[in-house]
Amino acid sequence: MPGGAQNWGTMMTDPTEDEDEALFQAAMTAARDAPPVVPAALMARVLGDAAAQQPRRWRLSALIGGWQGLGGLVAATCAGLWIGWSAPEGLPDPVVLMGGDAMAGSVAAFSSFGWDMEEG
Amino acid sequence: MARDADHSRSDDALLRLYAAGDPAAARALSGRLLPRVYAQALRLLSDPAEAEDVAQEAMMRLWRIAPKWRPGEAAVSTWLYRVTANLCVDRLRKRRTVGLGEVAEPVDPAPSAAARLQGAARQAALQDALDRLPVRQRQAVVLRHIEGLGTGEIAEIMQIGARAAESLTARGKRALTDLLAGRRAELGYDDDRSD
Repeated sequence: MPGGAQNWGTMMTDPTEDEDEALFQAAMTAARDAPPVVPAALMARVLGDAAAQQPRRWRLSALIGGWQGLGGLVAATCAGLWIGWSAPEGLPDPVVLMGGDAMAGSVAAFSSFGWDMEEG
Repeated sequence: MARDADHSRSDDALLRLYAAGDPAAARALSGRLLPRVYAQALRLLSDPAEAEDVAQEAMMRLWRIAPKWRPGEAAVSTWLYRVTANLCVDRLRKRRTVGLGEVAEPVDPAPSAAARLQGAARQAALQDALDRLPVRQRQAVVLRHIEGLGTGEIAEIMQIGARAAESLTARGKRALTDLLAGRRAELGYDDDRSD
């Protein structure tokens, strides 16, 4: 640093080491107390980057209504499986419902194919 | 996510949440870490536009590493300080190279850049003094005396031994003290004391 830069006119004596230390500490404290403010545009860019880079593991669940939607979907799937599997009494036979008489006829044709004749 | 919940979570935990897709985690991490990254870059580069670029790039690297982050291996903030420091050093090296060939005058580290920093005369004077330190000393002093980090963390960030970090910090502090003493009137702390 040029020597002339230290001549501030009003300072006639060299500061002591203690004074220099106090000056250093005061400058550091001031710097800590007034940190630079992050520009809003920078924060927005950083958050935009974060969104673009974020793994999409949760995004599918968001599409179907979050975790509640996902839970509902799982419950409905399980209920459907159970109803189909257990065939509750009081409900009509789904095979008859689907095929009706035609299906019943094919069962009869199959049984009259000749197997019964062998018995006698 | 509630603000209080953010404060109670570690950087590691927030980074894990971010990697799991929690959008609030990015906001919490950015609010916590970006000011430190930006301040460090600004102190080292003394140029707001460059500091913004560096801060954005450092945070981008954090988002990218999040899915592979191994908790407990390093502190997130230490890792980020290191990335920022390396990006700043790269910029300063380039600045020096470009300065010789393309810029008519050497980069002026002083008032014009520093004054833009915050407008306050004290801040400008401090920044001007910091700019006059060798880069490694500047880094060490900023990390120790402004960011308040310990020697071990500074060593990790600067990728040197603890003793070297201590020595850099001490030399930087001595040099900065001398520079500030020469700017005592500008800094104006004597006025505060006499009041």
